[in-house]
Amino acid sequence: MPLDPLTLSGATGSVLKGAKPGATAGTGAGLGSSFGEALGRLIDNVEQTSADANTAVTGMMDKSTDVHDAMIALQREELSLQLSVQIRNKLVSAYQEIMRMPI
Amino acid sequence: MNTIDDAALVEALRQQMTKSVARQVAAAGNLANVDTPNYKAMEPTFADALKGQLQMSATRANHINPANPNTPGVREVKDAVARRDGNTVELDRELLTMQRASGDFAAAQTALTAKFKLVRYAINESK
Amino acid sequence: MATLSSAINAAASALSVERTRIEAAVSNLANAESTRSANGQPYRRRDVVLRAEPVESFQAALGRSTATGVKVAAVVEDQSDFRRRYEPSHPDADKDGFVSLPNVDAPQEMVDMVGAARAYQANLAAIGLIRDMVQKALELGRG
Repeated sequence: MPLDPLTLSGATGSVLKGAKPGATAGTGAGLGSSFGEALGRLIDNVEQTSADANTAVTGMMDKSTDVHDAMIALQREELSLQLSVQIRNKLVSAYQEIMRMPI
Repeated sequence: MNTIDDAALVEALRQQMTKSVARQVAAAGNLANVDTPNYKAMEPTFADALKGQLQMSATRANHINPANPNTPGVREVKDAVARRDGNTVELDRELLTMQRASGDFAAAQTALTAKFKLVRYAINESK
Repeated sequence: MATLSSAINAAASALSVERTRIEAAVSNLANAESTRSANGQPYRRRDVVLRAEPVESFQAALGRSTATGVKVAAVVEDQSDFRRRYEPSHPDADKDGFVSLPNVDAPQEMVDMVGAARAYQANLAAIGLIRDMVQKALELGRG
């Protein structure tokens, strides 16, 4: 399910589902790739919202798009970027914590 | 449709703001001279409208503002109706132009600020 | 930004010019029946002559673009004929009983006054709009 940065629906579903051990039944390929898929979806979302925002602002300039639509598109882009950055940060710190564990 | 990249968008926004300023300045001059006999309402001309005309020859009367020969890129408003004193400025039209120019400028400024904020965020988070 | 501040100067120049026009109209109305002015003649209508002029002529001389402002070129006396009214009992009546009255048309003065007031208001509003634009531009510099 695509991640909607504005309502954040799909966030827990797509990201956490892959992380829970044993919960991968039905998602297909297994733990690592569901995670990877989720991350990939996040990045796609950032690219998509960014392209949409640029299109909307261009439309605002030649009057084909309303100003409020362009502003909302810009905010979506920002939220999408911030969400993916925060998730990346959490992933990195989780990874570092795991690596610090003595075997 | 090709996606527009950020650099091109910022440049386009900057140009939009420059155009709005040019419209604002021309309208302010018109509004100040609403009662000046024989004053002709002026509007800015933009480079893209003058493709191919790199040299503006001074012999073309409508390229030079007779009241102020040092403003490049203005011309008389076409099809303007003159009143009895020869003045072609319509007060309400100029005021409307100024409102619109202000609005366009503010919208572009907000969009530009949002874009810069994103880049700044990305830079900060990369540290 | 230089052009925006010159635009404010242009609008400001209009404020004082329109005020002068209102003052002239008021003077004309007040003296519409004055058969004797300082020079012994009936009052002559005051006319304000306007001229468009680039603001900040120094900048203009340097070749930089500036806004076009307005200026009072002169306040002249309207040279059209006096009005004549038959009123033999008037102290200033001539030998035929006619009085020469100021060449002031009261309705026209009212129209001029209202027009000047409206132009004043519009230029005042313009200054506000330009100032808003300058502020927005400055906000871009604020991180």
